[in-house]
Amino acid sequence: MTTIFGIPMALLYAQLLLGIINGAFYATLSLGLAVIFGMMGIANFAHGALYMMGAVGAWFMLNTLGIGYWPALILCPLVVGAFGMLLERFVLRRVSHIDHLYGMLLTFGIAFIVQGIFRFWFGSAGLPYAIPSLLTGGVNLGFMFLPYYRAWVIVASLGVCFLTWFAIEKTRLGAYLRAATENSKLVQAFGINVPVMIMLVYGGGAALAAFAGVLAAPILQVNPTMGAEVLIVIFAVVVIGGLGSIKGAIIAGFLAGIAEGLTKAFYPEASTTVVFLLMAFVLVVMPTGLFGTKTQAAATSVSLPALAHESAFMRWALFGAMAIGLAIAPLFIYPAFLMKAMTYALFACAFNLMAGYGKLVSFGHAMFLGTAGYVTAYAAKTWGLSPELAILAGTASAAVLGLVAGWLCTRSSGVYFAMISLALAQMIYFLALQLPQTGGEDGIQSVPRGALFGFIDLSNPTTLYLFVLAVFLGGFLFLSCLIRSPFGQILKAIREHEPRAQSLGYSTDRYKLATFVISAALSGLAGSTKVIVTQIASLTDVHWSMSGEVILMTFLGGVGTLYGPVLGSFVVVAMQNYLSALGAWVTVIQGAVFVICILTFRRGIVGELITFVSARQREKDRRGIAMPAGSKVVTGT
Amino acid sequence: MAEILKVESLDAWYGESKVLHGVDFSLSAGEVVTLLGRNGAGKSTTLKSIMGLLPTRKGSVLYRGEQLIDAQPFEIARKGIAYCPEERGIFASLSVRENLMLPPKVSANGMAVEDILTLFPNLRERIDSPGTKLSGGEQQMLALARILRTGARVLLLDEPTEGLAPIIIKQIEATIVKLKELGFTILLVEQNVGFAQALADRNYIVETGAIVDEVAAADFDRRLSSIQSYLGL
Repeated sequence: MTTIFGIPMALLYAQLLLGIINGAFYATLSLGLAVIFGMMGIANFAHGALYMMGAVGAWFMLNTLGIGYWPALILCPLVVGAFGMLLERFVLRRVSHIDHLYGMLLTFGIAFIVQGIFRFWFGSAGLPYAIPSLLTGGVNLGFMFLPYYRAWVIVASLGVCFLTWFAIEKTRLGAYLRAATENSKLVQAFGINVPVMIMLVYGGGAALAAFAGVLAAPILQVNPTMGAEVLIVIFAVVVIGGLGSIKGAIIAGFLAGIAEGLTKAFYPEASTTVVFLLMAFVLVVMPTGLFGTKTQAAATSVSLPALAHESAFMRWALFGAMAIGLAIAPLFIYPAFLMKAMTYALFACAFNLMAGYGKLVSFGHAMFLGTAGYVTAYAAKTWGLSPELAILAGTASAAVLGLVAGWLCTRSSGVYFAMISLALAQMIYFLALQLPQTGGEDGIQSVPRGALFGFIDLSNPTTLYLFVLAVFLGGFLFLSCLIRSPFGQILKAIREHEPRAQSLGYSTDRYKLATFVISAALSGLAGSTKVIVTQIASLTDVHWSMSGEVILMTFLGGVGTLYGPVLGSFVVVAMQNYLSALGAWVTVIQGAVFVICILTFRRGIVGELITFVSARQREKDRRGIAMPAGSKVVTGT
Repeated sequence: MAEILKVESLDAWYGESKVLHGVDFSLSAGEVVTLLGRNGAGKSTTLKSIMGLLPTRKGSVLYRGEQLIDAQPFEIARKGIAYCPEERGIFASLSVRENLMLPPKVSANGMAVEDILTLFPNLRERIDSPGTKLSGGEQQMLALARILRTGARVLLLDEPTEGLAPIIIKQIEATIVKLKELGFTILLVEQNVGFAQALADRNYIVETGAIVDEVAAADFDRRLSSIQSYLGL
């Protein structure tokens, strides 16, 4: 039998074909994503959920309504498309006038809600969907057997890709779309109803996702989480192709599928990561992707909530109140919950340094939390290091990773920044899964807590609690001093207007990189401490959903405020702990809280509070009441 | 002459800052009227505000007696007001032909594509090249050409001479004269006094977001020094 590099030809062909089929799904999905991004500037996190709705919808139609595959292939996209239009009209449109980041976060919350509801309705198990009778069987190509259905998938998705491309590049409606992507206001001034067009585009993107879902139903596992898994890959594909580029999305989709297939033949373990590797490579060589032309326009920044004036006494009083509150809290509240919340709070504060003050919203921050956790666990368990050294090793490893990742990420901004950090985090996830030292699916269990500095026994619950409290307060204090320092001021200046900061003579790239490293190191500190507390380092801490959680905590509490991330973490951890009995509903509630937060109080709980107090302070000033002595105008509290 | 567009005490805001403070003026059918003023006086803002392109506006914009103050930009355009933005607004991802055909027809009496291409022969030669491969002058012609097709009768032109060579400015001037002959009503934002004088029936002086003076064509020479002082020349 013929072989290539020791791989039988037949296997190679089979994997190649499989790759092309996967590529067909990727292309169809990323097409919708690219269209939506081009028009609305939103990286649509709900895309996976819409795809899942298509697949589960087809199953539901067949099993409950008796509607077969062929009608479902038309009906499902129509229904999901209509759902998408409603989403755009009543949810996304509310944030269309502000930073696109908020639209992206909204779709993130929506994805949680949809996925949670479907899990409640349909359970988590796979739902079998039979191949339509017309397409059962297959043909022997001589070197391999090609099932008809798989051939149909390729044909159908190529057809849809071509139609979409044609509609956008060659028709009048497409010209409107392309023009509106460049300058939607001017297109409106020509007499075109752009809001309706945006609604149609989102609906169209949703319909494309659902179409891919129905196509996938007979050959992939149909279950409510299928969308979440594929979503991250699709993001990478769209970035490879160039955000917003239709042609790029299609070509990169097939490219990614083929790369995956070939990797599967030679080194199966890496097949899920190769797309991200490809993406990192493409972005280093071509920062806007294969066919991307323009970089994203700088979005108007939402100003940080700040008090009109505040005294040093107030600051220390707040900090003291938090410290004392947390010190006596274990008398009333389960200490394990508090320790968990504090480690998350430190993580969120570290994330906030970048997202809030640096306006660099990373979607891969879990890689620092997780890496530090693994290193700490390994150092404590295998090398027998004392906890402080193990934590130090973990923190240092996160800082080094931060330096490398930061060097790659800070070359871009906005959505690109988010996507590259996500891709890097996926690679770290792959390493955590594959390296022998990390224990794969099991993680590193029963990590010894040991004795701090050799004589403070951390297995004593009180000592452990005080230790975690000290780490958290120390990290918090460090960050609050940093934000107040000249460094923090420059960071805020860069956030407001990077070219202006550059023109003042600051090397903004170096500041961003430094911020990235500090944020990574503190996230690492949180991860290391977490491992000492929970005594386990596992894949959950490097999974992308953890990166999502930290975003949720930070935005819920108040991005760009000192206390917001702390409060947000406590709220989220409390929800997860106390609502866990509700099962799938926790995700729904979490998503709903997030959506409501973005829609109604997007400054977060603390941010809104600060804005409210600040407005009252200004009102008082206006009425001519003298400012109290010693107070001054400060920002970023 | 019949009053076709009447703007009364028009206020407009960018976010929290008020940029127009009670703009009042009117256009009669078939007139060419300019808005003259310094940089930042509010000329372009007035045009944008008539089209509804600013986030907030108050006051009154009457078009053939119909109130448009609460209308969306696309609704205003469909009434028959066409807008040619500053810096031309040519779409880079569209070809010249696509740019030309982009604005939908708002009435049946627009110019035929053939007539437009006769008016702007350069565009005929470059009909299939990407919009931004054109020279500045050609881009300006395209920006004008594309609103002639739609059947709009009132044209709002924002500094069509900006950044162009004198010889091209002459061409644009000739074009606008021709458009006037064809019966278009034109509101022109300008800083180029000579250009305004050559074309306008009337001139309004804009300062700090309001109309502060009006100069008829007949008075232009007599009042030249005061116009120049308004413009800081």
